[in-house]
Amino acid sequence: MNYSQDAQPSPLVSPPPTTLSLLRIWTLIGLQSFGGGASTQLLIQREFVRRRAWIGADELLQLWNLCLFTPGINLIALTILIGRRLGGARGIVVSVAGLMLPSAAVTCLLAAGFEVVQHSIVIHAVLRGVVPATAGITAVVGANFAAPVAQRARADGPRIMGICAVIILAVTLALTVLRLSAAAVIVGAALLGVAIFTPWKGGGPLPPDAEPLSDKSSHP
Amino acid sequence: MINPLLYFLLFVKASLFSTGGLSNLPSLHQDLIGAGWAVDAQFGQSIAIGQISPGPNGLWVISLGYLTYGYFGAILALFAIAIPPFLVLGVAAVFARIARKRWVDGLMRGLSLAVVGVMASVCWTILRQPGVVWSGWLIAVGALLLAASRRVNLIVILGLAGAVGYLIYR
Repeated sequence: MNYSQDAQPSPLVSPPPTTLSLLRIWTLIGLQSFGGGASTQLLIQREFVRRRAWIGADELLQLWNLCLFTPGINLIALTILIGRRLGGARGIVVSVAGLMLPSAAVTCLLAAGFEVVQHSIVIHAVLRGVVPATAGITAVVGANFAAPVAQRARADGPRIMGICAVIILAVTLALTVLRLSAAAVIVGAALLGVAIFTPWKGGGPLPPDAEPLSDKSSHP
Repeated sequence: MINPLLYFLLFVKASLFSTGGLSNLPSLHQDLIGAGWAVDAQFGQSIAIGQISPGPNGLWVISLGYLTYGYFGAILALFAIAIPPFLVLGVAAVFARIARKRWVDGLMRGLSLAVVGVMASVCWTILRQPGVVWSGWLIAVGALLLAASRRVNLIVILGLAGAVGYLIYR
């Protein structure tokens, strides 16, 4: 058993995977993620949250939030965090390798055969069908991420629900209509979140039972 | 001709100062063309291959590595894009330190709302692409319904979309 964690911030919902099954799942995700990141995200949500219940929907969203502050490909950062959550250091290695090696191999094969692929009318037509499908997949990924957000807002009452809807809409419009930089918009929303949701009255740190996401490896 | 270490470091640098997708393109373009290690056409080809191949969009860099420096280049590119995301462990450690602070919950809530908004904007941006006409919107809605149903395998959804694309646009 190599998946044991030193600290357990929130207990796993179901028994965690072995290193081998983690490798198998990530390899399948890597091989199936045609159409880009949205496909990878949907497969991650389906496998780890829905099918196996290894990670909660809210926790996955929290992990993804951390990835937004990381340089490079955010999905690799997410893979690292999920790998560590479910299998420690070994989990990270098999998860990243499982996600990237098969895709990299397929990419090399495609690059080697590019002369054949390049002018293929068939491939261009197929891609023109796949690209809008990724929009639909992205919508489902977004809805899955929205579920824990909405649940919490609902518990907080109609006023908070309204505020949350306005922030989401404002972010969308800032990125599409105003074409502001994504980094600036995300930081803006985070600061807005601090201003709106922080219970300033009362002071002092949170009581230990109000458990937000905490980092697993920080307790050696 | 190509200095493997410098080549690798140029890829790491591009990845380190990017946020996935094609955001590392300008840096790589400038550096590799400047060094004479790549030509313009290889960038176009790499991006096209990246679109067809599985995995996150940022993996287009692996085909750039392959086209400019063979399998060795692909391996160097693979490592170069895999290393910077490990900084997330530092981000997570910092977060663990501040997690108890009163304002952090609001920060994460604001971020979560932003994530949902970003997803909506990505959706919109894809559908506003020049090649996407009304039939593309139908494909998007169909894919959405199938993906939301949770019963249909993703490969089947993408396969159906590709088949519809083949029938309509060929």
